[in-house]
Amino acid sequence: MSTYLRNNAWNNQGTFDNSDLLWYAKAVGALQSRALDDESSWWFFAAMHGEYIEESTFPGWGTIPGPPAVPVAPVPSASVQGKFWNQCQHQSWYFVPWHRGYLIALEGHLRKAVIDLGGPDDWALPYWNYLGGDGQYKIPPAFTQKNLPDGAANPLYVNARFGPKGDRNIYIEIPPISGDCQRNTLYTGSNSQTTRPGYGGPKSGFSHGGNVSGNLESNPHNKVHVQVGGQANDIWGLMSDPGIAALDPIFYLHHANIDRMWAAWNALGNSNPTDPNWLKGPTASGDRKFMMPMVDGTTWNFTPAEVDSLSKLDYTYEDLDTESEPLLADALTKRFTKLGINTDNLTIDAAMDKGETSELIGANKKALHLQSDGVKANVKLSKQPLKTVRNSLKSASISSIPDHIYLQVENVKGNIDANMLSVSVNDTYVDHVSLFGLRNASKADGHHGGEGLTFILNITDVFDDLHINNALDINELDVKIVPDNDIAASHDITIGRVSIYREQQGS
Amino acid sequence: MRNTATVRNNISISIIMISVLLWVVLLFNPGNIMTVEHCHISMGGYSSASLQMILQMNPISDMMIGWSLMVFAMMLPKLIVPIQHIYDRSFKNKRLFLSILFVLGYAIVWISVGFIMNAIIIGANLWYPMSYFPALLIGVIAVVWQFSPIKQRFLNRSHNHKSIAAFGLPAVRDAFTFGAEHGAWCVGSGWALMLFPMLLPQGHNIAMLLVTFIMVGEHMDHPRIPSWKVDFRLKLFKIFIAQTRMRLR
Repeated sequence: MSTYLRNNAWNNQGTFDNSDLLWYAKAVGALQSRALDDESSWWFFAAMHGEYIEESTFPGWGTIPGPPAVPVAPVPSASVQGKFWNQCQHQSWYFVPWHRGYLIALEGHLRKAVIDLGGPDDWALPYWNYLGGDGQYKIPPAFTQKNLPDGAANPLYVNARFGPKGDRNIYIEIPPISGDCQRNTLYTGSNSQTTRPGYGGPKSGFSHGGNVSGNLESNPHNKVHVQVGGQANDIWGLMSDPGIAALDPIFYLHHANIDRMWAAWNALGNSNPTDPNWLKGPTASGDRKFMMPMVDGTTWNFTPAEVDSLSKLDYTYEDLDTESEPLLADALTKRFTKLGINTDNLTIDAAMDKGETSELIGANKKALHLQSDGVKANVKLSKQPLKTVRNSLKSASISSIPDHIYLQVENVKGNIDANMLSVSVNDTYVDHVSLFGLRNASKADGHHGGEGLTFILNITDVFDDLHINNALDINELDVKIVPDNDIAASHDITIGRVSIYREQQGS
Repeated sequence: MRNTATVRNNISISIIMISVLLWVVLLFNPGNIMTVEHCHISMGGYSSASLQMILQMNPISDMMIGWSLMVFAMMLPKLIVPIQHIYDRSFKNKRLFLSILFVLGYAIVWISVGFIMNAIIIGANLWYPMSYFPALLIGVIAVVWQFSPIKQRFLNRSHNHKSIAAFGLPAVRDAFTFGAEHGAWCVGSGWALMLFPMLLPQGHNIAMLLVTFIMVGEHMDHPRIPSWKVDFRLKLFKIFIAQTRMRLR
């Protein structure tokens, strides 16, 4: 039996009748009253995720319209900043373990504040299960009230939170946001159930690069961030940008839900990596350790191996069910049925059902400048690899799985994260991608060296349809990319290349 | 889309093997191409006769061969990641060709710089024959450069793995210019470190190994905001220790 239980924020209609939320609000207020250089302050923890304290224009911390009134001084020493700040792990297979440790550390400080204020000593962070049905797609109302029940200012209320339409109506749109990643069966890699680069993210070795998010990180994580944050005029919501996101109290409820989804995915029988390079964390690649300032004044240096199971950590969730609808038929059976292949004797062999070699099939000619009404990329296909795809489809059988096909939107760069792009191929909608993290990834002196973000979308269905309709003898494909929100004159988004790849299945 | 671990490892192993082979040649120093030869005339200090003698004993062509060998031996391991990028982003039948073009673009920049570097080396040997003073001077400059924000900016730029065209001449152009740009950032970050071993009257092999260790390690570090920072760039050493510990357990 775990000591701490994280409950659903929508209990008691997500209002302050939910005592978890009321105590959360009061504890957030207590942490916000502390100085920026106090390792237990709200601001210090937000900076651990990411910060723009020295930037003089929005989204510099000093320019954020309050509440909250975000301090930019006193800053801690350079060595303390180097040890703790700007640690967040994105586009990496450390995404979920780092955020799990981060939540635990903050939760300790919040719990101490709750106890000091006379609250329960087993208080735990609630989670926002936006995919849970029954109206939970809306932000719990406690976050939109300007005052607490006693009339004091509500620390959960944030001015710069605009929602998907920019009108301060905060909710998430389902679809494109979904929990489809929960059907994945591989943490890293691909198979019939798992789109590249895998549930938890691409293996992050000695060099990062690629800048591709894992499937849980892509959807729902990144999409929820930009829809909750949103944009209005020339600024965007806190949640839309990793350097200001953790200033918004809803951030931690969102991440509690992501953490819950990971736990639920494990509870379904899916395994975390056993590769020592994952278990040991970034120190295995010569990088700095994950470090958290704890409530007892110590520093917790943790590895993914220490946080890869809830049972090691003395907390659990009220509900580990993340599927509101029954699972569809196994993806491979479904695909074979669509292709007209008899599946009576199908037994899924893990080695056979595994994404292996990938190969470029085609690409558009030049970089694209995204406009509010979208942009069209004409993707020219090369004959030889396309022939290989056709042959794999023609010879498909239960012992020979045909290629998977991926669309890659490469080196997307820009100066605003608060947007999603709708992607379609030959007028068939494929998916949305979220630009969360775009601004940082585009900075020449940022962590990604300015190469931007890259998105991988599974378009196997599109090619299967072409094959079924005997229409795969083609030279090109039209890819349309349309932003959800208008792109203001001061904002700029470019796409380096749009390409299509085949991925051979099985070895 | 990233290639499989097997393809990526094959690229790494092939490049490291070529580098090791070139290191063996360097260490044997055939025809003394890696060291400046002196005689009693050139040892007498600067004069037109000593310049003539140095150039006669150390032809520019030999010095450039030595310089090019050194560039390839020391720098090839730094090209593993961008070559993997080219493999990821190119048609299967063009991967090797475009990678060679990338290396060519990269090498042309370093070899062009080599003429200036060799002029400095000859000058140093004319004015200060068999002296440690030029190496000491460039060593101090290299240390200052090492901790400077300008060097960090060059290092950051080399992490930008850009899109490359897939078809025809644009693919050729992009692979070559990607290599040349990468070479320019590499020269910007590493020129002083590269010059240092060449100015040493003795012990330049050990110095070259040390410099390679630092340069490969600093390219494996993540980009960061440029600022003055004392950092000895020991990432390769940290990786070696961490990986050894993991394997011993």
